[in-house]
Amino acid sequence: MAGAIIENMSTKKLCLVGGILLIFQVIAFLVGGLIAPSPTTAVPYLSVKCVDIWKNHHKTKWLMPWGLNKCEKIRDLDEAMSRQIEANDIVFAVHIPLPNKEMSSWFQFMLVILQLDIAFKKNNEIKDNAEVTLDVSLAYRDDMSSDWKEMAHAIETRKLKCTFASPKTIEHEGRYYDCDVLPLMEIGTVAHKFYLINIRLPVNERKLTNVGIGEIKDIRLVSIHQNGGFTKVWFAMKTFLTPSIFIIMVWYWRRIKMMTRAPVLLEKVIFALGISMTFINIPVEWFSIGFDWTWMLLFGDIRQGIFYAMLLSFWIIFCGEHMMDQNERNRLSGYWKQVGPIAVGAFCLFIFDMCERGVQLKNPFYSIWTTDVGTELAMAFIIVAGICLCLYFLFLCFMVFQVFRNISGKQSSLPAMSKARRLHYEGLIFRFKFLMLITLACAAMTIIFFIVSQVTEGHWKWGDFTVQVNSAFFTGIYGMWNLYVFALMFLYAPSHKNYGEDQSNGDLGINTGDELQLTTTITHVDGPTEVYKLARKEAQE
Amino acid sequence: MAGMRLLLTAALLCSCTQLLAEANSWWSLAMNPVQRPEMYIIGAQPVCSQLPGLSPGQRKLCQLYQEHMVYIGEGAKSAIKECQFQFRQRRWNCSTVDNTSVFGRVMRIGSRETAFTYAVSAAGVVNAISRACREGELSTCGCSRTARPKDLPRDWLWGGCGDNVEYGYRFAKEFVDAREREKNYAKGSEEQARTLMNLQNNEAGRRAVYKLADVACKCHGVSGSCSLKTCWLQLADFRKVGDLLKEKYDSAAAMRISRKGKLELVNNRFNSPTQEDLVYIDPSPDYCLRNETTGSLGTQGRLCNKTSEGMDGCELMCCGRGYDQFKSVQVERCHCKFHWCCFVKCKKCTEVVDQYICK
Repeated sequence: MAGAIIENMSTKKLCLVGGILLIFQVIAFLVGGLIAPSPTTAVPYLSVKCVDIWKNHHKTKWLMPWGLNKCEKIRDLDEAMSRQIEANDIVFAVHIPLPNKEMSSWFQFMLVILQLDIAFKKNNEIKDNAEVTLDVSLAYRDDMSSDWKEMAHAIETRKLKCTFASPKTIEHEGRYYDCDVLPLMEIGTVAHKFYLINIRLPVNERKLTNVGIGEIKDIRLVSIHQNGGFTKVWFAMKTFLTPSIFIIMVWYWRRIKMMTRAPVLLEKVIFALGISMTFINIPVEWFSIGFDWTWMLLFGDIRQGIFYAMLLSFWIIFCGEHMMDQNERNRLSGYWKQVGPIAVGAFCLFIFDMCERGVQLKNPFYSIWTTDVGTELAMAFIIVAGICLCLYFLFLCFMVFQVFRNISGKQSSLPAMSKARRLHYEGLIFRFKFLMLITLACAAMTIIFFIVSQVTEGHWKWGDFTVQVNSAFFTGIYGMWNLYVFALMFLYAPSHKNYGEDQSNGDLGINTGDELQLTTTITHVDGPTEVYKLARKEAQE
Repeated sequence: MAGMRLLLTAALLCSCTQLLAEANSWWSLAMNPVQRPEMYIIGAQPVCSQLPGLSPGQRKLCQLYQEHMVYIGEGAKSAIKECQFQFRQRRWNCSTVDNTSVFGRVMRIGSRETAFTYAVSAAGVVNAISRACREGELSTCGCSRTARPKDLPRDWLWGGCGDNVEYGYRFAKEFVDAREREKNYAKGSEEQARTLMNLQNNEAGRRAVYKLADVACKCHGVSGSCSLKTCWLQLADFRKVGDLLKEKYDSAAAMRISRKGKLELVNNRFNSPTQEDLVYIDPSPDYCLRNETTGSLGTQGRLCNKTSEGMDGCELMCCGRGYDQFKSVQVERCHCKFHWCCFVKCKKCTEVVDQYICK
């Protein structure tokens, strides 16, 4: 990588660029913190217990919890007992959203969680490892007067994980168990205005379905969807960022193409990073407003996965290319040890995602965590991915350590070197340290903000302050990595000032990147002084 | 009961409105089933004027939020049930007397028991309203924080709607406190002390619901990671609210009215009560004997436990008057086979039990 722009830039200009980037960074945070609402909203629902008087007419009738054709409902299950209604005749109905509201495709996705209110009763306790079998169906319609259309129907089982805080005596009958929330369903687009969920808990004593699950008092659902306001801000941000990254990418590649030598590995990797960033940025989500593309959620995961894999690979290769030992790398195959774990880890996560969200395209009620085999499989994938990530970080830390060792070695012998060699190494050291610094800063910011958003949310009860923190986290971090990639492509592009010299050197037939770098840096008039100044500054610090 | 009602009607005719206003309470919504609003779509207002026990302010709220009345009634009902559960072993067992004043004249005394009753019924309303919200029964829920019904769909689309627990809290505050707020008494008077006491206890009850509502969260980021976490408030089991308020009842603070018209502690050595604490201004009456002036029903005829040494033991419950023993035959469903709802098969068992009744 020949004399990058960063080396040939005056300190003033570099500060200017840094300042502009910082302003954009602040804007990115503010957009999330001030304009956007919180990223998601949770709406709690309480299912209405309907009596399925149409049971014999079989499954064409949807039961509505409220509205014009509302079902015949019972207030509590004591009423069912006195009226001799059986468990199999009761349907828990939930209409999403609440009255006077409409769902919208701006909500992007919706997931629904199930909570059971199970009362303790001495002679009807929850058995160990109890499983609840749900016969769930989901219907939609787009105006209040049309008929419900079935969207999905499934018979699912969920494991009950409940504890009872008080001693199990007659005295405490009627208190509720503390049960873990259960995932119910997830849909990748909210293309319709109204949804209706009908849940039955069929009892079959012979097959032992829904036997020994305690006395269920209520079924509560919580639907979580992205906020329309957040979606709009997010789309706007993507729409703005796409051309910015795309233009700098084209500019960067043109610069590389203008040189007579073939692009080196590091340049290719930076370009690839730019491509993966653009891939994330392209606001294809706009289509989800008009089309019912349920795979958008999965697609988003894949895009993010590709970017992360690219970013991790970039760090490794960047370290490797600044190793300053005499080894010749410049090939991807030279990094198989480090890139291998990334590939394996990313692949594992991809498989896991396909198993969960991929299957959900077919059956929105599916969850890999509900069966033992599924849980083990999912855990296996996640553990392998985790091991790969750890392995990767070990390699990365080791490489960074090596680079620093080499740097300190080189720095001690710098004064003894010829001016040309010295400047070459000083350039390398500066480039490396600079990237190291901003990478660490970005990573630290990401982690800090992540922790802040987690901690504050945990304590949230009255205020609405954290709402902004969460949106700011998303837009800020997203903006930050965009700026990171932008800065990388801008500052590490081959310097314009070297362009003429490059051509003249091209004829000499010096082909290794290392030698080329040497010559380009020396032959330049301004460059060395600038590099020298900066390197000295660095050394002072 | 009918006699009592007749008496009250007579009182109304005598235009002894003062007495009526004090004796009646919105708690009576628990006793008389409120007609479902849809039956009264055309003649909307009669419902509210027919409901007994509402103060003028509450009647106005009733007209504005008619669909809420059913749930206020349900809230009051669950509050009475909870009160009776918490005090099942006490001399005063929260028994209801008639349909209009509900608990009878004991509520005229600003005692600990009165404090608990006010708190638990305010809590019951918060609970019932937010429950009805989540069931989709109330159309004004959630987004109505700002009084801009025109913008409702836009607010909902932009950032979702407010929490229904908060809505329940705010509505209960409006409705329950309305009765206290519309009265204007002289500073430092007995009546003002009582008003302040009721307001404090109502607030304590509402806060108990809010305090026990806990935050549940769900992670749903990329590949199910925790990069995105959404939380919501979920109401605790109402029994827990009752437990908490019972604790507050045990630690309730005795207050008196100051000349400035504020409640102050009778005993300065204690910490002054927070908004979550119960306060009372009068000592509890003697609940042992029937007393027409205080409204105490006495413990005569109450069941007691011979072996217990607590409040439910015959010694304490019967106030030393002794007890009668008798055998009773109880027929119960037993060996039942339960499903998650509704038992299926039961046997009938008879059992002879010794029971004790206070003299």
